[in-house]
Amino acid sequence: MSTSAVSLYLDPQIRDWVLFPITLVMILVGILRHYVVILLQSTPKKLSREAVREQRALTRSQILQATAANSPIPPTYYKAISKHLSAAYEAGTYLKDGPPKKGDAPPAAPNPLSDPAAMDGMMAGMKTQMVMMVPQMVIMGWINFFFQGFVLIKLPFPLTLGFKSMLQRGIETPDMDVRWVSSLSWYFLNFFGLNGLYRLILGGENSADSSRDMTASPFAAAGAPQQGQPQDYNKVFKAERDNLEFSEGLYNWVGKDVEERILRKYGKIST
Amino acid sequence: MADVASALQKLATYRTQNNRASQETFDRGVIVLKSDVAKTIGEEGWAFLEQLALAAIDVGRTDVADQCLQLLSDKFHGSPRVDCLEGILLEATQTPEAALKYYQDLLNEDSANAAIWKRQISVYRRMGKVEKAVEELSQFLDTFYTDVEGWLELADIYSTCNQYTSALQSLSHVLLLTPQNPFYVLQAAETAYTAGDIPLSIRMFLMAVDMTDADDSVALADSTPTGITVRAWYGVKLCARRLLKDTRLSNSSASQTPAPKNINLIDELATERLRVAYSSPGKKGEIAQGRDELFAWAALI
Repeated sequence: MSTSAVSLYLDPQIRDWVLFPITLVMILVGILRHYVVILLQSTPKKLSREAVREQRALTRSQILQATAANSPIPPTYYKAISKHLSAAYEAGTYLKDGPPKKGDAPPAAPNPLSDPAAMDGMMAGMKTQMVMMVPQMVIMGWINFFFQGFVLIKLPFPLTLGFKSMLQRGIETPDMDVRWVSSLSWYFLNFFGLNGLYRLILGGENSADSSRDMTASPFAAAGAPQQGQPQDYNKVFKAERDNLEFSEGLYNWVGKDVEERILRKYGKIST
Repeated sequence: MADVASALQKLATYRTQNNRASQETFDRGVIVLKSDVAKTIGEEGWAFLEQLALAAIDVGRTDVADQCLQLLSDKFHGSPRVDCLEGILLEATQTPEAALKYYQDLLNEDSANAAIWKRQISVYRRMGKVEKAVEELSQFLDTFYTDVEGWLELADIYSTCNQYTSALQSLSHVLLLTPQNPFYVLQAAETAYTAGDIPLSIRMFLMAVDMTDADDSVALADSTPTGITVRAWYGVKLCARRLLKDTRLSNSSASQTPAPKNINLIDELATERLRVAYSSPGKKGEIAQGRDELFAWAALI
């Protein structure tokens, strides 16, 4: 490893015409991407009253259950609400399209590819992906075409050989010191490292960072239930009835023995 | 410039504390509006304009409100929040029918717009169409169950129509949604008392006491009840007295709530707590106003 003693001399023109332009172009593309994504974002679709009601119907039983063990409402009221909810879930009162009629075939599980609402969500993901992929491919092609094999910069600290493949991509020289960084590697360093800078310029909620999207595929979300994903509410409601029954067993009114608690608190009766 | 800065700061605190103080807001807001900085201070400026518009409508200066709305709708065209503000201005300046029509048009476009829907219900109530208001409000709450304000309004409407049992039912939903708020427990207790359900009422008053007094039982006996705790103790005392006088009451609960045991002890404790509340010296060491009346009342059996 004595090659490091023989120092390379970099033309300052490389610094001015290659190093800075690559960095600058990448920053600007990131900022541009941020604004294009904002432009592409479609406004969330407005839901009808019935759809909102269907979506929020579950929260009713969840709110009732949340305090069941120390419920603020007396037993008759609790039981009335619980029974009402249970009956409504059973009958499907909260379903968007009204309760299912007798003799209807159970609706098939919704297919995310055929449902236009779900398709919209997926298209939005694809669009942002495209906005990320296309400019990055163009930049990479540009660097590969014009600056292939360029050495751009020398890091001010020594590194082990393991970093060679990371820092000298595109240059096939086994002997060169690892501190020298090639143009393609400089591109990758920028690609993954500019997020902090974007956060400074555009604020925390920016969509300029493209490396983040690399990990997220538009189809990854399709498996997990998410907002806008069609759910079979009928089944969900039926399952919720068991929970309601369960918390009815847990139910206890705070006011049940409140007088004893108060009297004990003020020392009127001994514990 | 210092004037404007201090006014803005004051207005910002009003906003965070949810303080209506319309006249003060209006006086300060006009200074800011005249200096024409609202557009230059960024995000905060828009919140300020909304606040000023509401305050101006409150004090009847619709010209100022108009000005604010103009600025807002220039910036946020078609925003539901601005639409709502415009509706409020319409309510203030035109007939309720015109406002209703405006709201109905907006709701036809987006039937799930909660803010507009609530305004529409309030207009119905103001016009005296209580039945229609209750119907719409029930439908609204069926859709947006978590709206505490709506449940309270429904309870209020029922109370004004002497439908205390229904009011109590609405309040039970309020309690489910905000189990941590003693004011609502107190309201429910008072409604139950008015409905004649004394056993339920005394238990709820005791719950309110339990929520508002200190947790430390050692210091509790020496502490002075303040604020709504005093009111809750009054309620306990009232209920306990009625239960003692008329034993049939303890079995006549509409919600089948058993009357508390040790009712004598509770009555004693409530009397003692109320005496303490009125006996402690005030700021200048004076005895609290109405002390003699309270003592006379408490001594009556």
